Parts: sequence; structure tokens; C-alpha cells
Amino acid sequence: MDFGFSEENERFRAEVRAFLAAHVSAEVVQEMHDADAGADVGPLTKALIRKIGDRGWIGMSWPAAYGGRDADIIDQYVFEEELARARVPLNLGNFIEQAPAIMQAGTEAQKKYFLPRLVRGEVTFALGYTEPSGGTDLASLKTRAVADGDGFVINGQKVFTTRAERSSHIYLMARTDPDAAKHEGISIFLVPMDTPGITVRPLWTLPGGRTNEVFFDNVRVAKDTLLGEKNGGWHIGASALNLGRAGARRYCIYVSPFEDLLEYLREDEIGQEIASDAAVQDRVAELYCEAQVARLFTMRSLSMVRRGVNPPYEISSEKIWGPEFQVRTTETASQILGAYHQLWQGETAPNGGSFPRQYVNAMVSTFGHGSTQVMRTAIARRGLGLPKD
Amino acid sequence: MDVLLNDEEEMIRDSVRQFFDAECDMLRVRGIEDGEQRSDPELWRQLAELGWLGLALPAVYGGSEAPFTQLCLLFEEAGRALAPIPLHPHSVACLTLAEAVDRGDCGALAETLLSDACLGDCLLTWAWSERLPNIGPEAVGLLAVADGNGWRLHGQKRFVEAFELADYCLVAARTEATGTSDEGITLLLVDPRSDGVSSTAQLSLAGDYHSEVRFENVYVAGDAVVGRVDEGWALARPMLERAVVLNCALIVGATRRAAERAFDYAKERVAFGHPIGSFQAIQHTCADMITWVDGAELLTREAAWHIAQGLDAALPAAAAKAFTNERCQAVLREANQIHGGYAQVKEYDQQLWYRRAAAWSMRLGTSLEHRRTVARAIGLV
Repeated sequence: MDFGFSEENERFRAEVRAFLAAHVSAEVVQEMHDADAGADVGPLTKALIRKIGDRGWIGMSWPAAYGGRDADIIDQYVFEEELARARVPLNLGNFIEQAPAIMQAGTEAQKKYFLPRLVRGEVTFALGYTEPSGGTDLASLKTRAVADGDGFVINGQKVFTTRAERSSHIYLMARTDPDAAKHEGISIFLVPMDTPGITVRPLWTLPGGRTNEVFFDNVRVAKDTLLGEKNGGWHIGASALNLGRAGARRYCIYVSPFEDLLEYLREDEIGQEIASDAAVQDRVAELYCEAQVARLFTMRSLSMVRRGVNPPYEISSEKIWGPEFQVRTTETASQILGAYHQLWQGETAPNGGSFPRQYVNAMVSTFGHGSTQVMRTAIARRGLGLPKD
Repeated sequence: MDVLLNDEEEMIRDSVRQFFDAECDMLRVRGIEDGEQRSDPELWRQLAELGWLGLALPAVYGGSEAPFTQLCLLFEEAGRALAPIPLHPHSVACLTLAEAVDRGDCGALAETLLSDACLGDCLLTWAWSERLPNIGPEAVGLLAVADGNGWRLHGQKRFVEAFELADYCLVAARTEATGTSDEGITLLLVDPRSDGVSSTAQLSLAGDYHSEVRFENVYVAGDAVVGRVDEGWALARPMLERAVVLNCALIVGATRRAAERAFDYAKERVAFGHPIGSFQAIQHTCADMITWVDGAELLTREAAWHIAQGLDAALPAAAAKAFTNERCQAVLREANQIHGGYAQVKEYDQQLWYRRAAAWSMRLGTSLEHRRTVARAIGLV
């Protein structure tokens, strides 16, 4: 057991820290917040992403042949950790979330096309899984893709498709065999968002951002948009979803409201006065311990992935503990800071009003990417071998 | 960074587990619990012969000089097996003696005891808390008054493990009337059979004895000092951190086994025509149980790693203990709930893990006390 980072890792950490200090301005951070609230991705953000891409820090642990640089995944973890620590709201993980699936199931042509563009941020995917009739019960999806001549024709609807309005492609799960068992008739398509017949409609959310509905109306796609075997999409999707849940960025998101709370209680004059209460100290110390568990679960998943082990249940544990910790943190913080915690904007709003945003944001984490109930069932069945019936 | 066990660590864990599986079944555990001494001398001798009593001690005493992380694994396995031996107090005392000798400022007695302690021929224990069950310096009030080259002890200790069985007890005393401060504390080796020492063994929830010890004008020779006079906190602080982490390892080991027994039971026990483990209410409980015990294990191992690396372990040790106490109690509670009525029955084995792990979670500082340490360390106080 080794809970430390090597000298190489620490050198890389210093390099990233210096880069972020030199290249991340308040203006670019504001631009990213605006983009999350529905604005177009701004020029400063694009420039920053390009600089990060030029250094090879997007998808850095991938094979060099596909645009990565064969770096240790611990360096990727370190990079994500530093990005979060510098409070840069840039989710580079989203850029490359689908990459493991493409590496695993893609044709050589697909790998050569998508992977280098993903690391440069030129191709970005929205995730086309959830439908109005089901997200958690994903395999019940109804969107149809029918073979037609040299390609497929797609009809149906997706929902909660975040970033659909600014993605170049959608990673689409659709039913290709309605007569097969429900997990066996599903395929995955890598569909350009500018394909005729696709309509995106915004759904505005509580934290102040947007997600979308995406409609497919006789969308005609070429055969080479199919990823992996026809009707074999469930098995690609399942493993990609699993790997997508590991990574420092997730734990950093789970613990960042705690770090903001701690900083406020330590640094702010009113915060210090509130923190002089022993009951407050006890609750915050408890959250600290729980935050370490979130971090350690991420380190464990990473250790397993690095050894080439596909974690049977550990990533699901991470995905229960982290989001529920995030919710506990924001609820506890709300009862520590009281009326200050509700202030969304204004002179006396702590941290420019970020606390109530974190409060409503935390809610999303316990159902986004699979609800915590589904995770618990997965742990019980896959991890502990409890029977189905 | 790789938080999983490496090959050597896996080998140690596996061989310790095989040993306990073969030698320490629940009949044996129950036999010791029903006996007089509440400790198994034969198991102790076997452990000594296999070299595990000296696992993390210096080679000069016959030890293996293994890092503290490996000792932590030995304790996880001892907890899992409910090994009825005073491994915890003995190891805590031995490591502190070895550290004091290594620092080069220690009376002669400590060094002479270590080789025998390594071989299992000399049993050591330690005593810290008194009226308050705390593990800070404020808990120490036992007075040591200078008498020639030696000292005279006046006062008491509580919650001392294996005191009546021990050859020596490492005692924390105040050589200056410094109240609750961390100054003026001195560690001394006391023979429990010295004149003026009396003790009362008290039965714990775990089924072992915790003694209340009284010292009435007890003479301790000058060579029995461990570390420097008045500067005992410098040794005591790492001693308490090691004690806390090894205690967590025992709790985690026993709790994991209790949880595994509940998972197994949930697969077999049928209600309403189905194994209860197929019900979501049970499945989700089990998912939480494994998540919580894994969290406690990772925190414990990270704290052990800090100690092994010679890093400051105050914060990780306190975080591990604060979390482990409460979360492992919750895991044990749910394991009992899955077993239903059988959990309360003496002849059914589940209670053996439950009682011990629960009692261990009540020793060496409450979650509240450890969270006070955490709060200080993260700058809240």
C-alpha cells in the first residue's frame, strides 16, 4: 500500500500548478461560468483548452498512437486534482469520457478519426442514453435505428442531454432489434450533431445551467457511425459508463463544497465567529473525515484500473459515497451558515453566492450517471454476489 | 501511489489468515472467554514462534523490521479472527520501548526487556487513561515524586489491558505537577507485582479484562524510565497514534468478518419464498455496509502508511478513528439486523464479533475526541 505520490508525479503537479497560475485568469473562469449558464463557449476558454491540448494534458494516459502520450494515469489524476484546486470549472473529463469505449470497440478508422480529435477538443460528445421513459432502466430505451440501404434511420427522443447544444457528436444508444431480449437489441452510434433531422431544445436547470431534449426525426446516418457490433451496444456502453466514473475530477467535485465551507470558516471574519462553536467544529471535522473517504475511494479505483483490474463494485461505492457526501456537506453547511447560505447574489453573499448554487447542484450528483439506488443494487449483486431472486 | 496491497503485503495477510483459520476457531475463542485468564497462552506462544510478535521490531531484538503497514495487516487479521491474546497492548508498549532506545535517551531496563518481549517470554502492557477515558495529556494525573535515583508513584490508572498477566506495564506519570499540560509527563516501566500496586480486573463487553490499577507509594528505579524525564509526551504522542491505528485495524478486521457473515446469511436465509438477500432493502443495506467498512479500512491503512513513512500521523490517525468507531458500529448493527433474532443468541457466533468490535470502538478515544483533534489540525480551532 502506497498512499503517496512519486517525485515525478510531484514534479508534474508543480508544472501544472505553474501553468494554471500563468494562464487562468478571472475572465476565462467567468466565461466558463457563463457557458455553463447557457452562453456559447467563449474565445478565452477555447484558447485555454488549446493550450492544455498542446501540452498533451487531455487524455494524456492514452496510447501515443491515438493522440495521447502514454502517461501514467496518476499524472492524469494529478492534473484533474490541480484543475479542481485552482477552481477552473472546465470538465475535460467530458471531452474524453467516450474514449475508452472507442478504444475498446472502435474500428481502426474510428479510432484514428475520433481519438486524436478528442484529445485536442475538436470532437466533443454529448451522452445520448436517457430517454423520457427511462434513464435508470436504460435498457428499456425506445429510440429506434433501422437498417436502411447503406446506413441507418434513427427516430426517437433523448432527454437530460447535457452539452448537446455545444457538442460536435452524440454518443447515441438506440434499439436495433426490437424482438431481441432487452439488453441484446441495442447498438451505439457516433452521430454528428449537424446531421439533418436532429433538434435540440433546452431545459433550464436550478443551478443556473442548461440541459436538453434531443429529438431524432428520420435521421439518416452512414454505416460507419455504428460503434462495435450491431446489437452489441449494451456491453460496450456498460463498461464505458463504469470507467467514466473513475477519476480525480469526480472526487474533487464531491469535496469542493466542503473545501469552500472550510475556507469560509477559517478565513472570513463572520465565518470564524460561527466556527467558534464546538458543535460546528464537530460537524465540520466529521465532514473532513468523510471527504477523505471520497478521496481514498477514487485513489482505490485508480489503483485498480492501473493494475488492469475492472473494479467489480468499487467504482459504484465511490459513486454512492461521493455524491451523498456532497449532499450531506451542503445540507450541513446550510445549517451552519444559516441565512448567509441562501444568498444567491449580492454584497453580503459569501463567495459571490456560490453556496446556494452548490446546494442545488449537489442534488444532481445523486442521480446523474445512474442513481445511487442502482449503484447499491450493483454493489450487492456484482460485488457481494447477492441473488437476483 | 497504489493503495492496494503489494505482493509482500498480500503474502503476510494470507499467511496470518491461514494461521488463524487453522489455529483459532470459534470454539477456541469461546473456550478462552469462558476461562480464567481471558488470554490464550498457547496461541501467544505460536505467534511468538512464527516471529509475528516481533514483526515490526528491530532485528537486534530478533524482530523482522517490517514497516508499520504490515503490522496493521497483522492486526486486521487478529481482529478478523478475534484472537484472544494481548497483541494490542504488548505491541504498543514494545514499539514505544524500541523507539525510546533508538532515540538514545532511555533507561537500561527497556532494552533488556525487548528481546524477551519479541520472543513472547516477556509480556508488556501500557497504561494511560485515569478518571477521564481520554487519550490526550489531560488524562494523565498519576504523580511520580523523585526519590533518590528513582521515583515514587501515587495515584491510579484505568482501562489497562492484561495488567495481571503482564511482566511490565509502561505507565504515564506526571513527574512535575503540570496539571493537564503535555509537559512534565514521564513514561516508566512498572512491575505489576511491586509493593504498593493493587488492581481490580473488570469485565468488558468484549469479554476481556480491563483493570483499574492503584499505585500507593510504589517505588520505581531510575533505570525504568523510558525516554526523557518530563518529556514523555514526545514518545507518548506517536505511541498513542500507533495505538489508535492498531485499534482501528482490529475493529476493521472484525467488522469486515461480521459483515461477510451477514452477506452469507442473506444468501441462505429464505423468507416469503426468496433468499432475503434478493430483497432490495437488504441489498442496499449490504451495499452500505461494504462501503463503510472499506472506507474505514482505507483511512486506517492511510494512517498506518503515514506512520510507516515517518510522516505526521496525528490528523490521519484521528480521522481514521473518528470514522471507524461510528461507521463500524453501524455496520455491526446492520449485520445484526440481517441476522434478526439469532444476533442476540449467545450460542450463535455472530455476537462474538459484534461484542468485541463494538467494545474496541469504545477504547482509545471517542469519535468526538478524535474530531476535536481533526478540528484543530484543519485550523478550525
